[in-house]
Amino acid sequence: MTAKRLRIAAVIAISLIFILAWMFPILWSFLNSLKTDKDVLAYPPKVLFTPTLEAYRDVLFGSASILPNLVSSFIISIGTTVITMLLAVPAAYALARLRFPGKRFAGFYVLATQMLPPVGIIIPYFLVLRGIGWIDTYQGIILIYLSFSLPFAIWLLVSYFEDIPFEMEEAAYLDGASRLRTLWRIIIPQVRGGISVTVVFVFLNAWNEFLFAVVLSGNTVRPVTVAMYNFISVEQTLWTKLAAVSVLAMLPVILLGIFAQKHIVKGLTVGAVKGGGRR
Amino acid sequence: MNGRGHVRFEQIVKMHGNFKALKGVDFDIRPAEFFALLGPSGSGKSTTLRILAGLDAPTSGRVMIDGKDVTSADARDRDVAMVFQSYALYPHMTVFENIAFPLEMAKMAKADIAPAVQDAARKVKIEHLLERKPGQLSGGQQQRCALARAIVRRASLFLLDEPLSNLDAKLRLETRAELKKLQRSLGVTAVYVTHDQEEAMTLADRMAVFMAGEIEQIGTPAEVFTRPNSLDVAAFIGSPPMNLIPARLAGGNVIIAGQPLATTRADLSDRNVTVGIRPSALRIGPTGLPAKVDLVEDLGDSAVLDLDCAGTRVRARINHDDIPPENSSVFVTARPQDIHLFDPDTRKRI
Repeated sequence: MTAKRLRIAAVIAISLIFILAWMFPILWSFLNSLKTDKDVLAYPPKVLFTPTLEAYRDVLFGSASILPNLVSSFIISIGTTVITMLLAVPAAYALARLRFPGKRFAGFYVLATQMLPPVGIIIPYFLVLRGIGWIDTYQGIILIYLSFSLPFAIWLLVSYFEDIPFEMEEAAYLDGASRLRTLWRIIIPQVRGGISVTVVFVFLNAWNEFLFAVVLSGNTVRPVTVAMYNFISVEQTLWTKLAAVSVLAMLPVILLGIFAQKHIVKGLTVGAVKGGGRR
Repeated sequence: MNGRGHVRFEQIVKMHGNFKALKGVDFDIRPAEFFALLGPSGSGKSTTLRILAGLDAPTSGRVMIDGKDVTSADARDRDVAMVFQSYALYPHMTVFENIAFPLEMAKMAKADIAPAVQDAARKVKIEHLLERKPGQLSGGQQQRCALARAIVRRASLFLLDEPLSNLDAKLRLETRAELKKLQRSLGVTAVYVTHDQEEAMTLADRMAVFMAGEIEQIGTPAEVFTRPNSLDVAAFIGSPPMNLIPARLAGGNVIIAGQPLATTRADLSDRNVTVGIRPSALRIGPTGLPAKVDLVEDLGDSAVLDLDCAGTRVRARINHDDIPPENSSVFVTARPQDIHLFDPDTRKRI
């Protein structure tokens, strides 16, 4: 075997180890979700078993159905994502384009909010929400999620907006477009990739959030990440159901990722403007 | 000719912080005129165009279009079309959509848009590229697309910001000629920014020469070429540039390298001057200033000579037929009407 082949083999081996390490929990959850309660506790673990959808039936349609929790998660995640994007797109555009006093500070502030440790603010948040009676409400949780997702989304989007040359907008103004119409027809289509990336990140963060959800939610609004925890108790852990819920909770995120991938096209603006602007 | 597109700049001043980019600019552009704003970079010509387009606001002064004060009007309310140096095509739209965009913004009926786009595309010969995206076009084709987008709306004013500077030399010459024909056939007023004096000379009906935020001279290319107002204009216009030689004016003659050259200005009293002589105005003859030929640049149909006139460096452009050999000694002279006199202190024409 030559040195080159050896190197390739080593790279493949190391990559495989990483892939396996990453895949194992997902695969393990998936396999466990198809086992019976008896199979899942068998020692040594059973690799060959008769698959069953019983766990899924139980968690979806049984007495402790997590369907309402999935709905809660969807409302919270979609609500957070939609409001974030509605506010972040104009904000990022403004930060990238307009000149106003304190612009530099505003940019720094947006980043600074990302540096706070969540545990440090969870109690103040709880007190504020309790004060206005928004504990265990959708608006309460969405409001708190916005406080994280909005700065993050703005910060992510600004760089995409800054990549678009000034002259493109000026051309649109001269063609008779208003500022809003220019944003809608000329700018946003060109930052589609950036918007897709941001949507995925914001949705993902809201969907997967646990710490704030467990403190600020209750019996009415309980996202699936919190509900999942109910399958773990002092007496026993319902492994098959926990695995089934995990798999169900992963699905929307994976689907969103696949869907967004198509829109994340790099280099859309390449070749549009030759020579660049004067600024 | 539609009689639209009359532009008037009145005392336009533009400050960038403490820097005066324009120091009170006045000019008039007549309807259907091809007007060039010429000057070196940083002279204020692009700022002037941006103020005319409504992309920048002047610090003071008035901008009038067709008798209307548009100083504070939005760019989109001015009825001007512009071709940017970078073309600024919309990369996510096809060529057709790019050209149709201004019509759409003007709320033209859908049924009328397609024929108008076709017509504009035909005028710049890109009707076969309408389905492409800008990224799939060559530089020249992108430039034409930008032109079509500008002419499709039949705006009263047509602004061009160095539109040829990103094309290669051959394409630039072709496009230059087409641009002029296009402007003539449309009968629109065109304002053209360039730092290339040859472009301005060949395209413009009249031009304004900008220097350091001020207009040095306005006139037809021939006027500016034959009677430059100042040393700066004289040095900027013409290739190779005008010879500028410090000399003494005495009795209507200028004394260069100890030899007198007759001028048309016998009326002036004796004084120090800067003499300007175009390289093409210098002739080689049996008498005149003695000079040594340092270098010959043969251009095929003519040649540029680097001459040493007793220590003063002078360039002459002569016919291909009578090129003297390098290091030979010759006599050069110029007709009195070809000798320009400038005041070395005020830098203005005398």
